[in-house]
Amino acid sequence: MRRVVITDATTITAPGNNLSELWQGLLAGETAIRPVNRFPLDNYGSKIAACIEDLKPINGHSMIHALLDRLFFEMGPVPPDSFLITATTKAGIDNLETLRRGNSADFQDVLLSSITDIVSQKLGLVGSGINVSASCASSTIAIALGAEMIASGRTEATLICCADLVTEFIFSGFSALKALSPVPCMPFDRGRNGLSLGDGAAALLLMSHSRAKRENRERLGTILGSGITNDATHITAPSKSGRGLIHAIVQALKKAGRKPDEIGAINAHGTGTVYNDIMELNAFKRVFGKRKVPVYSVKGVIGHTLGAAGGIEVILGLKTLSTRIVPPTVGFSDPEDGAKGLVSSEPQQISGGCLLTTNSGFGGVNAALVLGR
Amino acid sequence: MVSAEITGIGWVTTAGMGCGKDHDRFDTPCGPLPEIAPADVFDKPYPHFGRMDKYSRIGLTAIAFALKDAGLAEWKVKRNIGIIASTVYGCLGTDVDYYDTVMSKKGLGASPALFSYTLPNSFLGEAAIRFGLTGKSFIVNEQVPSGLACLNMSLDSIGCGESKTMLCGVCDLGCPPALGANSNLPPGALFFVIDKSPMKGSSTYGTVSLDRKYRILFRQTEIEDLTMLVRKCLTGYRSRQGKSKTLGIHVQTR
Repeated sequence: MRRVVITDATTITAPGNNLSELWQGLLAGETAIRPVNRFPLDNYGSKIAACIEDLKPINGHSMIHALLDRLFFEMGPVPPDSFLITATTKAGIDNLETLRRGNSADFQDVLLSSITDIVSQKLGLVGSGINVSASCASSTIAIALGAEMIASGRTEATLICCADLVTEFIFSGFSALKALSPVPCMPFDRGRNGLSLGDGAAALLLMSHSRAKRENRERLGTILGSGITNDATHITAPSKSGRGLIHAIVQALKKAGRKPDEIGAINAHGTGTVYNDIMELNAFKRVFGKRKVPVYSVKGVIGHTLGAAGGIEVILGLKTLSTRIVPPTVGFSDPEDGAKGLVSSEPQQISGGCLLTTNSGFGGVNAALVLGR
Repeated sequence: MVSAEITGIGWVTTAGMGCGKDHDRFDTPCGPLPEIAPADVFDKPYPHFGRMDKYSRIGLTAIAFALKDAGLAEWKVKRNIGIIASTVYGCLGTDVDYYDTVMSKKGLGASPALFSYTLPNSFLGEAAIRFGLTGKSFIVNEQVPSGLACLNMSLDSIGCGESKTMLCGVCDLGCPPALGANSNLPPGALFFVIDKSPMKGSSTYGTVSLDRKYRILFRQTEIEDLTMLVRKCLTGYRSRQGKSKTLGIHVQTR
């Protein structure tokens, strides 16, 4: 199997138009979750999200176009032969809202494959790509697939691009499920009361180590292993035991050829919902035992970016590995049972050369990746 | 080269629904999809089925028939079987229905039950629960829809030892009329069970493989889409069974 490295990566989130601004915001502990002014909120319990304020639909196109336009500002050249895997849960669903309200909008943007089309055209990629949709683990799975394609020798480069928006469609749905927190989300805190949504997109260029070396590309880190499972217990609620997530982590460690002791930090899904966070703590306890591995969630700063969450969090995981700083979990102060000594509201030092990142979602999906320097 | 046996096929099309081994032909004529009652698909009562959206119902039904065809519908312990499905429009019809509930009372009427089905992978979760499937599960949207990406990835998954058995297929209802766009995609769902090492004595349709150029071959012939694959499977199976019926399509309806 060939070694898979990440040679370029970029993000756009509410805290900033690039990774540097996002990282600074994270370390400063500043939340970007604020009152929403994108659609009427009178009838929703929560009125906040981490929106990119000046994101607007243009000429009948979904806001997803504007988001993707900005995403690639700071990305270096992408080889045209890169296989494209995009990830989204709802793509340009804002255009469905516009159409249903009787206004004109580009219908194509509503299709999930629209993101693949937009990115492919924007970057002049030569092959046809695919979009992956698996709720909040969409981009984690896309990265796992992209890495496997390179590791098995099927291709030498894959571009992973993920994006999702805060729209009335999504906001109202989570509100109806009573899953939205009225205050910025509080991952792993005893007082947590739901998630906060966020706009977000990320792009990662994955390459075989040999090609990256040949092209003298920067190596930001390595994808060492992945695991993807299904709880097979409930459509919207996680398995209380965390069994599915445990299996995904064990699978990822096995593929990576790493032991739990070698994991220096865990980027958790950490949505701030009561059941997700307790499920994750149960799973981490089962895999790592009494060892205190630093666990963090970035969602108190950027909100839950749904299908883009995994991609953004992998990029932040690479930053964590390179700086050896585990970002603080913003919104966390009173530890949930099992979180004490693992989660911190302050930056921590990482020991060990590997990082675990996990995401879980509707449909019972769990995905885990092991990253290396 | 990765290869696996096709052990089960199930579908819901405008011609009917059922298991591959009960049919001589696979067709997608013009017309509506059949109404599906739980008793058409499941031996035991399954009230939850009626609460699912139509997209989930056809997807779950095709998966149920594929597993039955492969002799895998019954289970006691959860199994490491994955599902990868391809779709173009996914649950767009459910999206329209859900958003209409949002608009009707300015958000107050938003249906949580409908929202749960506004993800195209929801029916994979339903299938995982119903049949105890704990392997990977996700949806693929191809730029050039052929359904082959999910078969390709399923073979990869078997090749790298993640699972010995995978379900892969397509599920689509076409474009919702409320959105006005025309669709020439036939509505329906079609799923295959592929197995690295089928149980001894089980009847299979033949071997599907990935060659060195990552083309999908069935009985040494390159496959261009899943419709071509199911037709080749049925023809080969019938000729091996020595029962070359010419009765046309067996439509299993209520």
